[in-house]
Amino acid sequence: PTPGQTALPTYHGDLSPHPYLSPREIVVNEANFVRKCISAESCQDDLWGKLVCTNFKVSFITHNSLPRQCTHRLLGEHDIPLACVEQVVTVNDVKGKQKILGSNQKLKFNPTELILYCKDFRIIRFRFDEAGPESAKKVCLAIAHYSHPADPQLLFGFEYVGKRYHGSTACTRVVCSGERMNGIDPGGGMQTTLFDCSSDWDREIKRTGASEWRVCTINQGYFISPSLPEFFVVPVSLADQDLKQYACFFYSQRIPLWCWNHSSGSALVRMSNISDPQQQRKVEQRISSAITKSHPLRSDVFKSDLDKNLPNIQDIQAALLKLRQICVIDPFEESEEKWLSSLESSRWMEYVRTFLRHAVEVVYMLESRNVPVILLEKEDRDLSCVISCLVQLMCDPHCRSLHGFQGLIQKEWVMAGHRFLDRCNHLKKNDKEESPVFLLFLDCVWQLWNQYPAAFEFTEVYLTVLGDSMWVPIFSTFLFNCPRQRAENSRWDWSQQFSLKDQTLFNNPLYVGKIATCVQNGTVKTFTHRRSKKNYSSTLRGLPSALRNGSLGPNDTLARRNSLVLRLRSDLSQVREQQETPSERFIRDFFSRPVDLQGLLLPQLLPSHLSVWKLYFLRWVPEAQIPQGGPITAFHKLSVLTDEIDMLQNQLRQYKGAGGTPNNLHAEHSKMYFKATSTPHQPPAPPEYLSSSFPFSPVGNLCRPGILGSPLSKFLNGAKIWLSTETLANETI
Amino acid sequence: MEKSGSVDSVESLCSSTTTRSDRSSGTRVSDTELRSKGRAIEKVYKDTSKGELPLLPEELVQDSAKDVTYICPFIGPVRGSLTVTNYRLFFRCTDREPVFGLDLPLGVLSRVEKIGAATSRGDVSYGLACKDMRNLRFVHKEPEDSLKKSVFEVLMKFAFPVSNNMSLFAFEYKQVFPENGWRVYDPLAEYKRQGLPKESWRISKVNDRYELCDSYPAALVVPVTITDEELRRVSSFRAKGRIPVLSWIHPESQAAVVRASQPMVGQNGRRCKEDEKLLQAIMDANAQSHKMFIFDARPSVNAAANKMKGGGYESEDAYQNAELVFLDIHNIHVMRESLRKLKEVVYPNIEDSHWLSNLESTHWLEHIKLILAGSLRIADKVESGKTSVVVHCSDGWDRTPQLTSLALIMLDSHYRTIRGFQILLEKEWLSFGHRFQQRVGHGDKNHTDADRSPIFLQFIDCVWQMTRQFPAAFEFNEYFLLTILDHLYSCLFGTFLCNSEQQRLKEEVPKHTVSLWSFVNSQLEEFVNPLYVHYASHVLFPTVGIRHLQLWVTYYIRWNPRMRPQEPVHQRYKELLAKRAELQKRVEELQREAANRTASSTSERAGSPTRSITPVQTFV
Repeated sequence: PTPGQTALPTYHGDLSPHPYLSPREIVVNEANFVRKCISAESCQDDLWGKLVCTNFKVSFITHNSLPRQCTHRLLGEHDIPLACVEQVVTVNDVKGKQKILGSNQKLKFNPTELILYCKDFRIIRFRFDEAGPESAKKVCLAIAHYSHPADPQLLFGFEYVGKRYHGSTACTRVVCSGERMNGIDPGGGMQTTLFDCSSDWDREIKRTGASEWRVCTINQGYFISPSLPEFFVVPVSLADQDLKQYACFFYSQRIPLWCWNHSSGSALVRMSNISDPQQQRKVEQRISSAITKSHPLRSDVFKSDLDKNLPNIQDIQAALLKLRQICVIDPFEESEEKWLSSLESSRWMEYVRTFLRHAVEVVYMLESRNVPVILLEKEDRDLSCVISCLVQLMCDPHCRSLHGFQGLIQKEWVMAGHRFLDRCNHLKKNDKEESPVFLLFLDCVWQLWNQYPAAFEFTEVYLTVLGDSMWVPIFSTFLFNCPRQRAENSRWDWSQQFSLKDQTLFNNPLYVGKIATCVQNGTVKTFTHRRSKKNYSSTLRGLPSALRNGSLGPNDTLARRNSLVLRLRSDLSQVREQQETPSERFIRDFFSRPVDLQGLLLPQLLPSHLSVWKLYFLRWVPEAQIPQGGPITAFHKLSVLTDEIDMLQNQLRQYKGAGGTPNNLHAEHSKMYFKATSTPHQPPAPPEYLSSSFPFSPVGNLCRPGILGSPLSKFLNGAKIWLSTETLANETI
Repeated sequence: MEKSGSVDSVESLCSSTTTRSDRSSGTRVSDTELRSKGRAIEKVYKDTSKGELPLLPEELVQDSAKDVTYICPFIGPVRGSLTVTNYRLFFRCTDREPVFGLDLPLGVLSRVEKIGAATSRGDVSYGLACKDMRNLRFVHKEPEDSLKKSVFEVLMKFAFPVSNNMSLFAFEYKQVFPENGWRVYDPLAEYKRQGLPKESWRISKVNDRYELCDSYPAALVVPVTITDEELRRVSSFRAKGRIPVLSWIHPESQAAVVRASQPMVGQNGRRCKEDEKLLQAIMDANAQSHKMFIFDARPSVNAAANKMKGGGYESEDAYQNAELVFLDIHNIHVMRESLRKLKEVVYPNIEDSHWLSNLESTHWLEHIKLILAGSLRIADKVESGKTSVVVHCSDGWDRTPQLTSLALIMLDSHYRTIRGFQILLEKEWLSFGHRFQQRVGHGDKNHTDADRSPIFLQFIDCVWQMTRQFPAAFEFNEYFLLTILDHLYSCLFGTFLCNSEQQRLKEEVPKHTVSLWSFVNSQLEEFVNPLYVHYASHVLFPTVGIRHLQLWVTYYIRWNPRMRPQEPVHQRYKELLAKRAELQKRVEELQREAANRTASSTSERAGSPTRSITPVQTFV
């Protein structure tokens, strides 16, 4: 057993009459004979059990079990962390009363029903028909109270984190490295860089070749700015003394931060507004010229004003609320009719696209114009996090590995001081500060991932779970407003939450397979598309479709740069001139070349090429689930194949004298969630429990209010109308 | 009856075509060069820069003109030369390096017209509307000599051969493929594969000479209890004589999918005793259920309106154990209009800010949804309800094949294979008389013909939607579907010509043309979905919500240069497969080696000193 397992025994969820409690977790209140609603249309599938409120979660303890899904180590299948509860609604359907409960409130009626709206889009309902009215009321009030902690100290994570790490920091690194997946670390023996020490930044400077930049330590002990990290990177030409002097001009003393260097030497820097207008020009000039001095060609700095070009945090929050409304709150069939236009009016997809496009513009400046870029944002703590990360993801393949990506989040979000506590509104104090900036970022990453799935080491399950982690306060990365609050406690240790087996769901078989094919023989081998001897297509197909209507051939990029052919002839004045901006040209150039997954990646920005992140937004919607279908079925097939390759390589290693008993070893160490069978030539059919929601399940997780008890006809309008009752009966578990 | 038998060896194929090219005109490049592959694209480009054109067997250059300007909606005007053959339009730019080109079969053109009058400099503008979601525009100087025809006049002649009393290029094209695609579908073999129970169903020869119904196939499957004479009576009661016949039978429950056209009920509620008997017999042939469903694809209002024209729908009085369901799918005119709107929204440019609401306003995905939803209900009744179903619309040749063939794909995994899908098309669409000639308008210049409609495209779109939802359930890939659609219009193959089996036989299409399946099946690996898992007797129930439907961008938006055609997952998967094969080989080699070594080492234990270098197994 690994140290991690002894510290946190796996939650089994079977037959235990008590909730599984983490260290320091205590039961606050509970009610018996509670019914958890499972399906919207009838109560026959409802589960009976005990509803428990602890200082960390809402737990429902039952003897029945639901269909298989990814099991959480700290949370049972019916558990909701308190931090994930968005709204607590109590209902008395006899009296027709309803109340939204906050902290320390009174309830004048006995609730017959409790509805929990969760931040991860779930809607969970409990009924108290058979429960004692008093205990039902008490448990509701307890849940409402504990899900609105008065101060950060009451967020369970603080206690938990304190206990887990206090005085034991020496062993945490050991724990992490010992838990590394299957011994062969995909990141080449690295783990997630935290950027909490000077040497981490030094390594990053070296890795990106930013020789004209240095680590600055003036903020050690947070003496200059509480929201900046203790160590950050500045141009070598700026002395500590100057920086200390400039600090006071910037918004909350945030000295401009170096993010990353492009291989051409152009730096990406983020900067907050200068509060004193009289000093603005002077300070800005000094900073800019210092950055220019650090550039190999002494190029002038390009300033990108994010506040001017991007939606603000309130816009983003409003968009998510609308998206949530159409995804999970509105009755399925109603939202179905106007789905596309409602999706458009939510503006979420538009914002995703705006951020991606802005990042592409910045990439263009760095990549093509070869100039350093400053990202300007008033506080430099929200929009810059998104843009700087996206730029690096597009340019730097290192950021597309699992550890590289986590390091990137650590660098640009955690250390740069994104206010997770406020943006998540964990304390439910100030709704104006709440904004899903991080989720928007994950959606942007997902779009890139969706367009280039083989370029990333992680899967969309990983991105989804990462998004959910904001609501599990154990994962202290997302609990605080700045690195100072976070202190020693930030760790990217997934084994706190998931078993090693479940963590393999994070591994992308396309990427893992790539490593497998490359490492062999020490040479990088590319498998060109094998064509058979005979091919009749070449002539019939004519030119490839991309070239047939005006785009240019694949080997023409150099020629086009100085080509003059776009000039119009005078007699064609009736033709609207195509005003192609240089950055549009840059994008078009990129798309006319074959893509190198280890090089620059630009997203397709046509609105038709961005899709809704279904796994995240629609996973709980029963009507939107594809039983035995969805991308997961392809993932399954790929995983099995990758696993076979891994197995064969183990065998080869064994033959070459590496020794060991690889076959037994393999099962434990496989990187893949779905494994090869012993008969490799008969690929196994995808397991029946797979669905487009896997590893999540809509069962019991989305009970929209207003459907229960409504006339049958209303249900019959639902999407499932197309299936007969026989099929529905087969479908339920 | 069939065109020159299939040739087995590649050599004979090459030689036969080379000789033919020797006879042809000088602009021709050798066929061996044409067929040289792999780097096909660059090759073509190199050739074209030398002024050569890749031509197909029997393809002849008809006219060409220099100094034509193609007004590309994406990069602006491009000058070059335009060549028209009897098969394609080829545009190649002359004044720019890199090479830029357009290459399209004339079959995709639906309209060629002069736009406006000539300018003072004598320039005339031509607009070409295409069936494959694009419009092209050229500017060309009219020839000084008024007797000389402009290249566009030649183009108009060859683009619409049917209107000009010429034959389609498919009748000229003489490529020989190793496999003969006209043999893909054999109705008797297909019904045998379905396990047609002889005690309850029979294959009737009543339509052998297409006398009962000229748009139906020769072989019809009907209940054994119904005589041919009764079928003749039924045919006078069903629109266009398209009587209820079996499409598919469930291997276990024997629930049947039956297709027909609307009953000629009319305003007076006419009845037909034989028709009622036939439907009762269909119901009786399935012992599992005492009920049946009649799916009328139309909206109920339209079905009722058809009574005015003598048509209508089955009344529940006359058909006692049948339940009638309307599926609300609109007619060919609504679909044509929807696609027209879609084309406006996607070509040439996409409006960034209102993309989704613009897409919604075309209703294209909504129609797709209704078709899939209808098919899902049919499949569900057959699979889960074990009930037989009758499907019809008005004539039973548009919405009906959409519904039956989609339901069959859901029900029977055989139709999800490449060859099974070909059989499905041959059977449900071609033999049962979907009016391809009318709906597509091959070689016909009458572009406003109200009979044109993208019914088949819609069906392929639905199939594509299913492949998205079940990426491992189909043997074919997206390129297969794209190829089918491209050759629906190209008129290179005979497969989609004519309106019915009878017409195809009369025109001797199988004898004089090549089947698309000859081409496809001669290079199957191009069309295989590497993720395919064959699991037998697995029924697919797709989710038909609009949330899971998406616009098929690789088809509808493929002309946009920002659109990169790629299937990275499939490509990567193929690489992994190759890797696995290589590793397997090496492991086997080493296994053999090790086995030999242990065999030899046991015989001479003393061993040679060299063996100690390879520590494999020796430490035991």
